[in-house]
Amino acid sequence: MFSFRIIRSASAAITGNVVRRATSLKVDPSQKKSLSDFGKYVADCMPKYVQKVQISSGNELEILIAPEGVVPVLQFLKDHHNAQFAVVSDITAIDVPSRHYRFELIYNLLSLRYNSRIRVKTYTDELTPVDSCVEVFKGANWYEREIWDMYGVFFSNHPDLRRILTDYGFEGHPFRKDFPLSGYVEVRYDDEAKRVVVEPVELAQEFRKFDLESPWEQFPAHRSKPAAEDVAIDK
Amino acid sequence: MASAAAGALKRTTGLTGLAVVNNPHHRLTVLYEKIQRVLAKMPADASYRTSTETIVSERQAAVQAEKDPVALEARLGCGQCEELIVQAENELVLAKKMLQWKPWEPLVQQAPGSQWKWPI
Repeated sequence: MFSFRIIRSASAAITGNVVRRATSLKVDPSQKKSLSDFGKYVADCMPKYVQKVQISSGNELEILIAPEGVVPVLQFLKDHHNAQFAVVSDITAIDVPSRHYRFELIYNLLSLRYNSRIRVKTYTDELTPVDSCVEVFKGANWYEREIWDMYGVFFSNHPDLRRILTDYGFEGHPFRKDFPLSGYVEVRYDDEAKRVVVEPVELAQEFRKFDLESPWEQFPAHRSKPAAEDVAIDK
Repeated sequence: MASAAAGALKRTTGLTGLAVVNNPHHRLTVLYEKIQRVLAKMPADASYRTSTETIVSERQAAVQAEKDPVALEARLGCGQCEELIVQAENELVLAKKMLQWKPWEPLVQQAPGSQWKWPI
């Protein structure tokens, strides 16, 4: 007599009472514990700057700081014995126009010593300059130029803040949400002038008025719950 | 004697730009004492001060106990002696900067209400 007690399917495996989806992210509780402990440690050492600590996706530690604390917090994470995040793997920004401070700056750091990553976030708007962290991480130079180019966030004390990705004479910051999809100017080679000419963009056909908004809610399943979970810190 | 033999044998750290140091114990002792002197200027209840003091005094004790660099490296488990020196130098620079930043003070600025809310 055969009795099939374990049912296997492509999407889920049932072992005992626990249904485990094959594609779900496995969260290691001990790793999560050590990450949240480290987050608390950072918040404890720098209460002047750390506003919030959270863990997103189960294993990504995020330190949310006031914009004044960019250099101190990054320097602490780089030079402290227990942190040693000596590598800046990326700096980027996002634009959320509905917020009071529309730009969010994101610093991703890597510690080779402890095989660990951390994300530091802060915020600013179009007019408020943020301290450049080139004095802490030399590799931040080009990343900050990218952010200046794409979002127009000004970094004070940056040694060489120029555009880096767009063309000479480019106007505007293309990653801002209010930058039009088709841009402001178009570039073409003019046969009579024998050179490349730059003209204001001209979309003659009416049907080129694209409606890019989808009528459907894209991710209704993720709307209700926050993307990250908080780590309690003393305030 | 053992440390002299180990120093003579060690020809490279294997890390680019990091030269072998022949007197790691002396260098480390001096650096840790300097760090302690800087930390002493901070408020006694500052968390940065207490935790750094714990780390540094632990390392000081190890440096005093283990006279052989290889044994010292094994005990601390945080890289070669040359790397330990770099770490101590970094901590010293950080501690001096911390004196000016005063990160133990209360929060400078609270984020506006929905600043960290995601998804919006």
